[in-house]
Amino acid sequence: MLIVRPAASAFGLMAALLVFAPVPAAGTAEEEIETCLACHGDAGLTKDLPDGRKISLHVDRDAIARSVHGRSLRCTDCHSGMVEVPHPERAAKTAEEFRSGFREACKPCHFDKYAQSLDGVHAKVLAAGNHAAPVCTDCHGAHDVAPAAKPRTRISDTCSACHPDVADTYLKSVHGSALARDGNRDVPICTDCHRAHDISDPRIESWLVKTPELCARCHTDAKMMGRYGLSTNVVQSYLSDFHGVTATLTRSRHNDARSDVRVTALCIDCHGVHDIAKTGDARSPVLRANLVKTCRKCHPTAGENFPDAWLSHYEPSWGKAPAVHAVKVFYGVFIPFLIGGLCLQILLQLWRIVVNR
Amino acid sequence: MKDDLVRFSLRQRLEHLLVMLLFVVLALTGFPQKFSGSGWARVLVDAMGGVESVRWIHRMAGLAFAAVCAIHLGTVIALVLTGKARPSMVPGRKDFSDAVQTLKYYLGVVDVPARFDRFDYRQKFEYWGLVMGGLVMIATGLILYFPILVTRVFPGVAIPVAKVAHSNEGLMALLVVTVWHVYNAHLNPDVFPFDLTMFTGRISRHRMEHEHPLELARRERKA
Repeated sequence: MLIVRPAASAFGLMAALLVFAPVPAAGTAEEEIETCLACHGDAGLTKDLPDGRKISLHVDRDAIARSVHGRSLRCTDCHSGMVEVPHPERAAKTAEEFRSGFREACKPCHFDKYAQSLDGVHAKVLAAGNHAAPVCTDCHGAHDVAPAAKPRTRISDTCSACHPDVADTYLKSVHGSALARDGNRDVPICTDCHRAHDISDPRIESWLVKTPELCARCHTDAKMMGRYGLSTNVVQSYLSDFHGVTATLTRSRHNDARSDVRVTALCIDCHGVHDIAKTGDARSPVLRANLVKTCRKCHPTAGENFPDAWLSHYEPSWGKAPAVHAVKVFYGVFIPFLIGGLCLQILLQLWRIVVNR
Repeated sequence: MKDDLVRFSLRQRLEHLLVMLLFVVLALTGFPQKFSGSGWARVLVDAMGGVESVRWIHRMAGLAFAAVCAIHLGTVIALVLTGKARPSMVPGRKDFSDAVQTLKYYLGVVDVPARFDRFDYRQKFEYWGLVMGGLVMIATGLILYFPILVTRVFPGVAIPVAKVAHSNEGLMALLVVTVWHVYNAHLNPDVFPFDLTMFTGRISRHRMEHEHPLELARRERKA
């Protein structure tokens, strides 16, 4: 929070320098910007913070012109309270505290996004006292605020500022490499799975068990999967098998605890998360040669035959898993035959009883 | 009633009661897994304490069912071999002719219904259906319970085969029980609303004359 105080003591020196400067908040936005830039346009303008560090107070004139807000917003629209020179003193003691107060500046216009961000993991981390947690301006920029996903690679670049390892891994994955290589518009970017403002903690169970829905958004889209020759049956075949049944039946449970032990194997447990590779890729954990190792993550005593218990998302047919298909066909014929025969005998008996009367 | 006859021993009544209860438990914990996508399945699973406890109950009930089956088959085989019981459940040629005659009677081709011994062909059919179906359920259930152990010896495809068989055999059992057994034990006009013989062990002389005349005649000859 920025707390505006009437007296200025930390700004004492600067106040003395600026005492003859004109008072802003008069005239057009353009005029106001020019008024502020009279001082803040100086690349050497800095401020000493109580923690001994120094922050730059320089504002790049070109950045303002480039930003989506352009010259339509006044400086004081965001920097509320800075209408007087000398400026009122701030409560922030460190650079992080100073910076984390900036999200309040966006709130009056972007209240929906602000409210969403309060549900996000970054806000929770910030509330817990970690001032390194990003606020609006860390991802969107401040004076140079620009559309977040133009181009789409901008998103992973933004996240990589704090999550460089994840971003690197992602850019080597089947999704990230397609994005980096030819700007693919189908592959997911960070925010497609994690969301932008109300980012969940991806380590909690109740979020994890819903991740198959994230994959399903694209992997059940026949048009999109058709472009890459991929099956849209992957989600249904997962859900109808043992792991998927467990995932479905634990979804309604609210468990916000972080757990290293998974309740069941999810898409990401076999295919990977940020490092998802093509299933034919030698690195892919679901390639038959790598599959035992993948199964052993959860089933440490699994033998060489064990991975074949899973039909690799295939529907059983005469061509694929004919034994499974044969059993299916047998019951498909036998159950109606048997139940039909029993019903017929019941009806005949009832008919005889009626006739006898 | 005074002229009631004893039809089932305490052991047989207990076995029926156990199988009935275990069947209900197995169905209640099994079908929500088969139909996991439906809303009722989730309601049932949550009511039973989540999927882990549902699976635990299902496996324990399955093991208990296997134990009841083993004890039952062991006992009846021992009783028959030592001459203490007649192999009255074993199907014979007469059962086929009884079935044909019953159908003819229903269709009005013959005027008299078939005369049955201790168990009629429908009861034998249901008994052997339960035994055979039970063995399939026990075998496939154990495969699904211990997939890692099973795939040490058998190919991996044994698991999905067992799963399809377990799931379909279970559905078939449920349909047979709800259609055929509920009809014969409750809705059949001869016994409506409730055939209590399996619980009390007693049956009226009138019903014996009507439903098991050959057994009645043999018992009276002996006496």
